[in-house]
Amino acid sequence: MNELLLLLPVAVPILAACGYGLLSWRPATAWIGACAAAGLLAAAITIAVAVAHAGPRTALGGLLRTDALSAFMLIVIGAIGLAATAATPAYFAAEITAGRATPRTAARHSLLVALFLAAMAAAVLAANLGVLWVAIEATTICTAFLVGQRRTRAAVEAAWKYVVICSTGIALALLGTLLLNFAAHHAGIRPGLDWASLAAGAGRLNPGVTQIAVLLLMLGFGTKAGLAPLHAWLPDAHSQAPAPVSALMSGVLLSVAFYAILRVKVISDAALGTGFARTLLAGLALASLLVAATVLLAQRDYKRMLAYSSIEHMGLLALGAAAGGQLALAAVLLHMLGHGLAKATLFLGSGHLLQATGTSRIEAVRGLAVRAPVLAGCFGAGVLALIGLPPFSVFASEFGIARAGFATGLGWATTAALVLVLIIAAALIGHTSHMLLGDPTPALGPGAATAPTRLPGGVALTLILGLGVCAAVGISAGPLSTLLRLAANTMTGTP
Amino acid sequence: MNDGVYVQLLDLACGALLLTGVLVLWRRELAVIIRVFAAQGVALAALVAVLAAHENSPELWIVAVGLLILRAGVLPLLLARALAAAGPARRETRPLVNVASSLLAAAVLALLAYAVSRPLVALSPSPATQAIPVGITVVLIGFFVLVTRRRALSQLVGFLLMDNGITTVGFLTTSSVGLIVELGVSLDVLLAVLVLRILTARIQESFGDADLDELRELHD
Amino acid sequence: MSALGVVGGVLQPVLIVSFSPVLLGVMRQVRAHLEGRAGAGIAQPWRDLRKLFGKEAITPRGTTEVFRIAPLVLIGTTAVVAVVAPFVTTDSALGSVADLFAVVALLALGTVALALAGLDTATAFGGMGASREMTIIALVEPTLLVAIFALSVRVGSTNLADIVSSTLRDPARTISPVSLLAAVALVVVVVAETGRLPVDNPSTHLELTMVHEAMVLEYAGPDLALVELASAMRLTVFLGLLANLFLPWGIATELTPGALLVGVVALMVKVGLLGMVLAAGEVFMAKLRLFRVPELLAGSFLLALLAVAASFFLA
Repeated sequence: MNELLLLLPVAVPILAACGYGLLSWRPATAWIGACAAAGLLAAAITIAVAVAHAGPRTALGGLLRTDALSAFMLIVIGAIGLAATAATPAYFAAEITAGRATPRTAARHSLLVALFLAAMAAAVLAANLGVLWVAIEATTICTAFLVGQRRTRAAVEAAWKYVVICSTGIALALLGTLLLNFAAHHAGIRPGLDWASLAAGAGRLNPGVTQIAVLLLMLGFGTKAGLAPLHAWLPDAHSQAPAPVSALMSGVLLSVAFYAILRVKVISDAALGTGFARTLLAGLALASLLVAATVLLAQRDYKRMLAYSSIEHMGLLALGAAAGGQLALAAVLLHMLGHGLAKATLFLGSGHLLQATGTSRIEAVRGLAVRAPVLAGCFGAGVLALIGLPPFSVFASEFGIARAGFATGLGWATTAALVLVLIIAAALIGHTSHMLLGDPTPALGPGAATAPTRLPGGVALTLILGLGVCAAVGISAGPLSTLLRLAANTMTGTP
Repeated sequence: MNDGVYVQLLDLACGALLLTGVLVLWRRELAVIIRVFAAQGVALAALVAVLAAHENSPELWIVAVGLLILRAGVLPLLLARALAAAGPARRETRPLVNVASSLLAAAVLALLAYAVSRPLVALSPSPATQAIPVGITVVLIGFFVLVTRRRALSQLVGFLLMDNGITTVGFLTTSSVGLIVELGVSLDVLLAVLVLRILTARIQESFGDADLDELRELHD
Repeated sequence: MSALGVVGGVLQPVLIVSFSPVLLGVMRQVRAHLEGRAGAGIAQPWRDLRKLFGKEAITPRGTTEVFRIAPLVLIGTTAVVAVVAPFVTTDSALGSVADLFAVVALLALGTVALALAGLDTATAFGGMGASREMTIIALVEPTLLVAIFALSVRVGSTNLADIVSSTLRDPARTISPVSLLAAVALVVVVVAETGRLPVDNPSTHLELTMVHEAMVLEYAGPDLALVELASAMRLTVFLGLLANLFLPWGIATELTPGALLVGVVALMVKVGLLGMVLAAGEVFMAKLRLFRVPELLAGSFLLALLAVAASFFLA
């Protein structure tokens, strides 16, 4: 029974993928993906409850393992996966009507998205650094064709850069994995890559080798998480991919890659002391925030704007992880959930915006509040959530990270980070207000129809629900607080 | 197999890995680069075979055969097909760093690899671990090729070179990361190459010649 | 300064002076045969030298002493290397001069003398040849030093005779990566230093493609004979060094007539075979454009450097 429960988050999406492989895209089959994501979420909640009561559990002979941290990540994957797949049928209905896609494209898209969800679930359930690596590489392969789906020059270029840079980063992570395995074998830890045994025996690892291994692992997984300096793929890939895919990649995939970094940090802290990982992560955080702030000021494309905002938030996560300690780590996890929901909402909204206006340039969109009030409302609320306004949960998590940063001696870094966050917030508000407010006629030309475009009901519901959950979690973590506390414990103290 | 012969053969295989890595950096014609890459696959399989014979491990023999088929057979075949489908331009004409400077940079990378792998060799000195700098040199050379070449196929070969180097380091440091992880890694490499090959074909359709310098539409 | 060394010191220069034009003749004959021509015969270079020695000694107007003594310096340094380096015997007549750095310095001195003579003629082609030769030498000398140094690391001494004797004692070392990388690097060095294809075409008549021939364009009569003889001797010396550093079997290690005879024959056979292989290879290669030559030389430098690195970290 327990084994089966652990296999569900991986098995259900794979079954959905098989379904799409056999059947094609029809009004009836369009919702299989969303059902699979809902199943994943339900399984995730069940696992979380079980873990909260009874502690970590394993399956498949030690290949899969779940503790509080994995359970929380599964909830994140399930929630955002549900949001993205629920909006997919409406998105593809519009694409097929406009002639930009065929039912075959839609079926292939949903198949790959289902495999993508399964790979991410496998990554967070992996008990073993090697299996984690394989799962994350699998996500790169699944999303490679999703990014290049539209077959335009820009999309093909984005897909190429994405695959090459991410595979390079992942190759560095593989080298780090092999070196860690070497050090572990030498310290008598067997099997060499199992998280639990590594965390327990980390004190015996050779410092020199472990330093090189941790550096490579953090740089490698950091590439996949969009941290500078190897972030160049992110704006291109997230802006060229279709909206549901961007939502998933920005919302969840980056967080899953960051989850890998968190696991590596546990081992690094035990083997080398907290100083090494802290300096490294703080450096990566500030670099990412600087990159995001510099580019966002003069950004001209709203999808790239959202992508750079993801880099900013990943930088904040890295800062929180650098700070360490219970408060910071709980804030980091909450931030993953809140940012994921808000970003997914925004990307889904921007997908419909792109379909309605036909352009992704900020200056070409004006007066959205008049033309499409619901969409504009969701978009505006999403941006407010992103920049950390209460009651959204991003406020609570950013506050927590800042407090922990000051408390644990990262004062200067935190101050710099807050300044950069402020600059980014100003840029985001500026661009968004340009798009939402104002008179729509100049953009459309004189005499053009200004009837408001209607957002499909299902999509509107998804967006509002996503933002609502974000706000609710911001007010009170509720049932999640136990899980957050346990997960933070996992990372700081007892495994 | 007695110790002396084992060390000789191990060193020969590592020397061949290094030489083929340098040749990829040296030559310009894409067809030659692909053949040299296939030769490196043979050298890698030979290295694993030597390790298998030394430790009498049937698992390693299977891995050696698998590596031979994958990296000296399947991957070069895929690359050659991609080259045949490419346009008439068959050479790397203007790399970002010219060939003579690349070779001197490779010398610096070799010394860097040696410096970086000192703690690794010191952890467990043996003829196998003493060859780790060779693996790391190949990784660095692969990364250099990936970053400084303009043609899609050269970048692909650079990535595969990195992968060969990482596999070498893996086998020289310990015997086993678990068969499942081995299989997973090989499968991922194969799928990555397939994906990149398909993308190369699409780049060919959209942009003409796969000169990645043309890919400059996305920028801030 | 052992008896073996003294005998070697007498035998080697005599052998090399008499044998090198023959080697040149053999190489030209192989080339002719492969190209479908009848060829001029193996003894033709000796016939040419005899003709040139009988001609009037003449120098162009405007040249200085440098022009006149350069052929003497060239043949003198090559003769010294022929005396001391281990070709027929492992012991050398002047032990300390058989050191790697001394030998390379002597050979470089000869090249520099010739380049100066090319400049001294004050003609366009002389200067062009000299500058090209210096570009090539600037890249080749470090490679030569580093490649042989890689071999000397394991032996612990840079004396060429010691390197050769230690390879004799431990034959398995020849197939180590150090030896193989150094061998490839040295082959490129030999081709570049002796002015063979693909770096320089020794039988070209087009001045714009010349490197070595451009420097000696103004020489005539006995001076030209000395220069040609010295070039042939340099080719023999380089091929002999290449042969004996990597395949030293046959070299005389003791002072008996049998060993000496075997040493002489072994040297002639090895150098002859290498020469023929070089000539045959030249038939299939085209001359590299001059701005591509640094690529080739940088590659060989990298291989030599990797050989040294490998000698430090591979067992």
